[in-house]
Amino acid sequence: MRLEFCWFCSSKIYPGHGIQFVRNDAKIFRFCRSKCHKNFKMKRNPRKVKWTKAYRRLHGKDMTKERKRNRPERYDRNVMENTLKAIKKIDKIRHDRAADHIAQRWKPKAAKERREARKELEQSISLIKAPLAIQSQEPAITVPKIKVKAPKQQTVEDQLMEE
Amino acid sequence: MVEYNFKKITVVPNGKAFIDIILSRTQRTTPTVVHKGYAISRLRQFYMRKVKYTQSNFHDKLQKIIDDFPRLGDIHPFYGDLLHVLYNKDHYKLALGQVNTAKNLISKISQDYVKLLKYGDSLYRCKSLKVAALGRMCTVIKRIGPSLAYLEQVRQHMARLPSIDPNNRTILICGYPNVGKSSFMNKITRADVDVQSYAFTTKSLFVGHTDYKYLRYQVIDTPGILDRPFEDRNIIEMCSITALAHLRAAILFFLDLSGSCGYSIVQQAALFHSIKELFSNKPLIIVCNKTDLQPLEGLNEGDKKLVMEMKSEASKSQGGEAASADDFLLTMSTLTEEGVMAVKNAACERLLDQRVEKKMKSKKMNDCLNRFHVAMPKPRDQKERPACIPQAVLEAKALEAAQKEGRKTEKDIENENGGAGVYSASLRKHHILANEEWKEDILPEFLDGHNVYDFVDPDILLRLEELEREEGVRQAEAEDGDEDFEMDGEDLTPEEREALQAIKKKKILLIQEHRIKKSTAESRPTVPRKFDKERKFTSERMGRQLSSLGIDPSRAIERARSRSVSRKGRKRERSVDRDGEDGMEIDGGSSNKKLRLRSMSRSRSVSRPFGEVVPGEGFRDSAQKMKAITMARNASKKRNKDARRGEADRVIPTLRPKHLFSGKRSIGKTDRR
Repeated sequence: MRLEFCWFCSSKIYPGHGIQFVRNDAKIFRFCRSKCHKNFKMKRNPRKVKWTKAYRRLHGKDMTKERKRNRPERYDRNVMENTLKAIKKIDKIRHDRAADHIAQRWKPKAAKERREARKELEQSISLIKAPLAIQSQEPAITVPKIKVKAPKQQTVEDQLMEE
Repeated sequence: MVEYNFKKITVVPNGKAFIDIILSRTQRTTPTVVHKGYAISRLRQFYMRKVKYTQSNFHDKLQKIIDDFPRLGDIHPFYGDLLHVLYNKDHYKLALGQVNTAKNLISKISQDYVKLLKYGDSLYRCKSLKVAALGRMCTVIKRIGPSLAYLEQVRQHMARLPSIDPNNRTILICGYPNVGKSSFMNKITRADVDVQSYAFTTKSLFVGHTDYKYLRYQVIDTPGILDRPFEDRNIIEMCSITALAHLRAAILFFLDLSGSCGYSIVQQAALFHSIKELFSNKPLIIVCNKTDLQPLEGLNEGDKKLVMEMKSEASKSQGGEAASADDFLLTMSTLTEEGVMAVKNAACERLLDQRVEKKMKSKKMNDCLNRFHVAMPKPRDQKERPACIPQAVLEAKALEAAQKEGRKTEKDIENENGGAGVYSASLRKHHILANEEWKEDILPEFLDGHNVYDFVDPDILLRLEELEREEGVRQAEAEDGDEDFEMDGEDLTPEEREALQAIKKKKILLIQEHRIKKSTAESRPTVPRKFDKERKFTSERMGRQLSSLGIDPSRAIERARSRSVSRKGRKRERSVDRDGEDGMEIDGGSSNKKLRLRSMSRSRSVSRPFGEVVPGEGFRDSAQKMKAITMARNASKKRNKDARRGEADRVIPTLRPKHLFSGKRSIGKTDRR
């Protein structure tokens, strides 16, 4: 018994689920459920279908998948014990790494959001507070004062001179 | 071997039918339209075509008839004779000859008329020529009508003749009528021949098939033969005679010992002797039937002597072979079925022997025999030389045989432990492992959604250590990176967050309102502001909204109230009245009484006085308004007098709009809508 991966969505196929399709060139396609099977029959490319793992990996949204070992090993009880223990740890590490990857993706968004919120606040404050109120109130939600350099006061002499 | 099957002969149509067929075919398949204005060559061609076409059709059909009917000289003499017996050879030949002549005559007619048509000078002449040609052809056919009818009869009868292969193994059954030939036939074959108590139940030959020693034998049942001179025989008897004469078959001559057929043994013996020439060179068996009624031993002396005579004749005619005497005379009873099989077997055996013998004598057999030759080397001396097998091989063979019996297979183990469904063999029984105990280990194939075999590795611990080290490093780096990232911008304070939310809500509302406003008056009702049922436009509301914006509303409310119509207008009216009459009497004008009635709190429950100026109408004062009203009235007085349609009168802009007056009704009429 082996857990296979669905050809379309790359999810695990447990025993007793799904359909296997063998093509004339002897390539086997396994599907976890009829949704994937029907998509396959429609000749859709999983790399273009948003919810599949293939798309997500291709577009850098998720991390790479686990691999299959093809070399059979002679049975050894100790090795087997260690393997079983190791699987749990490896699983945890993998999980952490995947979570990190996603968090990395989301980081720039937080900063962007903050900037946008601030801008919004500046611009649209007049919708909820009248300008009078703002001026009279404590500057908790005031628009930051922008210092503009005023043009130098032209003296009378200067004006006469210009004429 | 050619199967004689006369079912494939074409149907010979009646004279009239024949003509009809051909002429209608001509009419259908040749062009029919012609005008006298056509070129003469075209006319000639048109009619020539018809004549030739008719002729060729006649020719084809008649030729087919002639070809299909068998030529009596070409077929097997048995069939030739049979057909002669049945249909009279001469008549048959004559009929076919007539058909042939007709065919030739028609060809000649066609040739002649085509020659004449070549020089036809008008439509009418060509047409008459064609009519004449066709007419003559049809007359020819009419004349041979009786022959055609006869041939049709013959064809129908021939189709029902039994298909006898004259060269195949055949057994012929003959004898007096009612002796039991047909019942015997029914017993040994699958043929279902009529068996009745009257003579001549069987009127023609019947064929059945039976098997013996993996060979097929034809069994032919003949109608009964009476003892008469040859010339006096009728057609039915002649059939059997023909069969006897021409077919190389084993002959079973049936004797009825009991005489229940209506004929005595004497008569039957007489018949035998009269047709015994026909039995030459054919294996003959005399069969005594109906032994249940009269066994052979119970016969009286005279009859017995006759029977023995017949037997001796039979054996004589066979050339006195080494066959036992019993082969020539057999007894049986078809009713009780005793001896039936014996008879059949004897007949088949005799026939087979004879045929094999004949074949052996012929030249062909020698070629066959040459093929079956086992070459044996000529012994050069008397020494015996048996096959030589080495000892080792013999021993090995013996050992293997012993082993096969002694070895216990997996299947045996399975069967011992309960069979296929109960016992499952341990596949790891013969595995070579470091520790024998591990052979029965149960281990999981998946764990937490991973295949265990994908992770199995002797160095897995090392790998795991490396991985954990990596992970530690990575995490440290990640933390450092996190700290840098935090520097960019502070978070919003809670008040700022609230304000942001309020802004968002307000924006949504604005958008919704805008969308409603955007839709045109056609799709939404527009209620003017003065009919404000929901009382949206009150000063309290305004006050609330302003205070939510952070502004003190009291001054705004004051101002709004001070400018409101009810107050303002009232003040003015009062002061005017107090000063004195203005000279302008307003219709239904405001009297003191009315003023008193109206109080401030009820300012809106009573409708406005007639001449009151509503701000927004555009009048300077009520005097101007009254003047305007008077002018309007005066303008419409004349029209009202003339009873002309005014502005207030109901108008139907279109009397018959298309949408109401078009379209069909599925049921009902549409004279009114």
